Amino acid sequence: MAEIKPDVKDIDRSLYDFRYDEKDFYKVKEGLTEDIVRQISKEKNDPEWMTEFRLKALETYNEQKIPEWGPDISGLNMDDIVTYVRPNTGMKGKWSEVPDDIKNTFERLGIPDAERKSLAGVGAQYDSELVYHNVKEEVLAQGVVYTDMESALRDHEDLVKSHFMKLVPPTDHKFAALHGAVWSGGSFVYVPAGVKVEIPLQSYFRLNAPGAGQFEHTLIIVEEGADLHFIEGCSAPKYSVANLHAGCVELYVGKNAHLRYSTIENWSKNMYNLNTKRAICEEGATMEWVSGSFGSHVSYLYPTTILKGDNSHMEFTGITFAGKTQNLDTGAKVIQIGKNTASSISSKSISKDGGISTYRSSITVMPQAKNAKATVSCQSLMLDDISVSDTVPAMDIRTDDADIGHEAKIGRISDDAVFYLMSRGISENEARAMIVSGFANPVSKELPLEYAVEMNNLINLEMTGG
Amino acid sequence: MEIKGVFNPLPTLTWNFLDLNGVGIDETVKLNNRGDLVIQDLPNGVTVEKDGSLLDDVQGGVGPEMENLMKRENVPTLVIRAQKGKTVSEPICLDYKLGEGDGLLRKQEIIAEEGSEITVIMNYTSKRNESGFFGIQTKLKAEAGATIHLVKTNLLGDQYLHFDDIGAVTADDAHVDIIQMELGGGRNFIGVQADLYGRKSRFDGNVGYLTRGTQLLDMNYNIRHHGKKSESELILNGAMMDKSVKNFRGTINLIRGAKGAVGDEQENVLLLSKDVHNKSLPNILCSEEDVEGTHGATIGRLSEDMLFYMESRGISEREAEILMTKARLNNVNRMIQDVNTLGRIQQFIEEVL
Repeated sequence: MAEIKPDVKDIDRSLYDFRYDEKDFYKVKEGLTEDIVRQISKEKNDPEWMTEFRLKALETYNEQKIPEWGPDISGLNMDDIVTYVRPNTGMKGKWSEVPDDIKNTFERLGIPDAERKSLAGVGAQYDSELVYHNVKEEVLAQGVVYTDMESALRDHEDLVKSHFMKLVPPTDHKFAALHGAVWSGGSFVYVPAGVKVEIPLQSYFRLNAPGAGQFEHTLIIVEEGADLHFIEGCSAPKYSVANLHAGCVELYVGKNAHLRYSTIENWSKNMYNLNTKRAICEEGATMEWVSGSFGSHVSYLYPTTILKGDNSHMEFTGITFAGKTQNLDTGAKVIQIGKNTASSISSKSISKDGGISTYRSSITVMPQAKNAKATVSCQSLMLDDISVSDTVPAMDIRTDDADIGHEAKIGRISDDAVFYLMSRGISENEARAMIVSGFANPVSKELPLEYAVEMNNLINLEMTGG
Repeated sequence: MEIKGVFNPLPTLTWNFLDLNGVGIDETVKLNNRGDLVIQDLPNGVTVEKDGSLLDDVQGGVGPEMENLMKRENVPTLVIRAQKGKTVSEPICLDYKLGEGDGLLRKQEIIAEEGSEITVIMNYTSKRNESGFFGIQTKLKAEAGATIHLVKTNLLGDQYLHFDDIGAVTADDAHVDIIQMELGGGRNFIGVQADLYGRKSRFDGNVGYLTRGTQLLDMNYNIRHHGKKSESELILNGAMMDKSVKNFRGTINLIRGAKGAVGDEQENVLLLSKDVHNKSLPNILCSEEDVEGTHGATIGRLSEDMLFYMESRGISEREAEILMTKARLNNVNRMIQDVNTLGRIQQFIEEVL
């Protein structure tokens, strides 16, 4: 009898695969030159130091090599990428003021509805600029600043200057340098000491133009004792040409502060997602990452946490789903410096239809990190014999005063587990579907309800065979 | 002789900042072919041929540069063969005795013909403070239903530069079992590659190590499952002292077509000094659905509970560390059947601890 296999459906992209023309949009030429970088800087009315910063980053970009490890990105040609596309509107504070086609886009993605139901503030970026930004009055009254990066650069220049690309310097890697040269859009959040933002803020990034790049910069500063949950969503319609996302996220978590950063990433399958995310934690701070990677053609994504302060800790919970034509290289990095720091990484991945999923991580425990603890657990599920699933986890331990545990498992759905469920009256179909669904559960349960539902819809299970 | 290139290459590259993609070496060593090889009486069912070279296609874990080195220096090959259907119960012992300033490259091939079983023990020794160079390459071929047990002990002097390259291939139902005790040498580059071609063939690796002083122990294991229902288990137990550095790369590669294959690797590292530097990279590469690959690692010092227990029984912290180090190494030692080899290892451990 043929084995019954769970047919884990491809991501339902009908929600995301629609587009509008970029009528009257401002665009720079394709490619990356000093003139283009100067042009972007001029269009954005950058202060002089930012123009210089961009030009210096461009130099670094030209000096840096393409990584020789990881997925192939030879299909990405910067000469074909438009690095700046400005919609034909400024940033609005009311959805009614946003042009219809752009507003329709975000309505179809459910953003205004989510804002009404469960968010304290929303930023919506369309191509290279934010088109909508709003935050609830009561959150503003707490002294929270939530705005677009351009406004922050104008209104909080010193704060931006002292933090911008300090955690992720352009010299970090080639695409960090690219980001430094052409960044545009993104969100700035400042949560004052002791302020707890009870409901999440969300930024949604939509890349609409074919052959374009999106380079948003997210800078979040959570001061001593403050608390924030920030949600990031991203999508794009599919084109036959390569699109590029090289965003940058820098998170500063103050003494005894708490930050949760949740991402549901669902870029289209022509996207090169070369994103960089990094957090630094002061004494007693907590950083939590919740990450769902479903889209893109190629991803390089490894949120990094620097546990600088004593007693700081981080948790990473992530799931990656690699389907046909996808090569998703994801994971996490942590550097433990302070005393009594702790880190916990839990990663799941599913590969199907020839998709390639790689879990890549590193734990570095520095000599001064006394009594450091770290645990890593990664599990991979192979759903057919044409896919690939790799795990490449590194541990670099430079002190004896550490306790490091690591476990990983790659395999298919366990026959024993199916048998156990069937012995309790559950059909084989249901049993296999339950196991795949349960596999993703540790991630979905960490998300707010609406987003967990979205993620579960993304991993839509059906059974075939028999 | 010039040693130049990347050794112990990682089968799949990762971040450069980890410095684990391979070891770049560029230095000159004196090769004087000094150093004695003592082979004890050969048991029945075993033949030894000199100047053979039958397993050129078998790849070792130290990588292509090691292969190039052996070819460039035209290193003669000793071929040890277990005859078809023979179970050789007595081990064949090869003792390489080296001294100050010796520089030696050697190569062996061990072929277990169909249905045979053979045990080969290789000991590398010199005095504690001696320096020199010792490079060795050992290739194994286990034919259908055959078993090769290989034991290697490294008791070289603290200033020795040492390369140990092992490559193995297995046919149906064949078994390769390798036990390594890495205790000596100054800079050690150890690589093992096993290609499990045969259905239901198996690889077992048990490695014990103790690093001390400023020793470097750099290891690269690459277990490739080609055959259906092939199995592998790689277990490392080690302790690190002083300012020593240890790099472990372990890759289980479950290649498409190896249905029913199972691979497991485990590493337990006891850290005994604040100045040690441990890097571990246990990889699983998987392109087949019907397989199971697992790895685990525990890295750290003795737990406070363990120390409290020991101290409550009058055992000091230092004594507890020594006790637990010996216990870890004994997990591997107990698999070595040869009394002389075991005695030498235990004496060495007593001396350095």
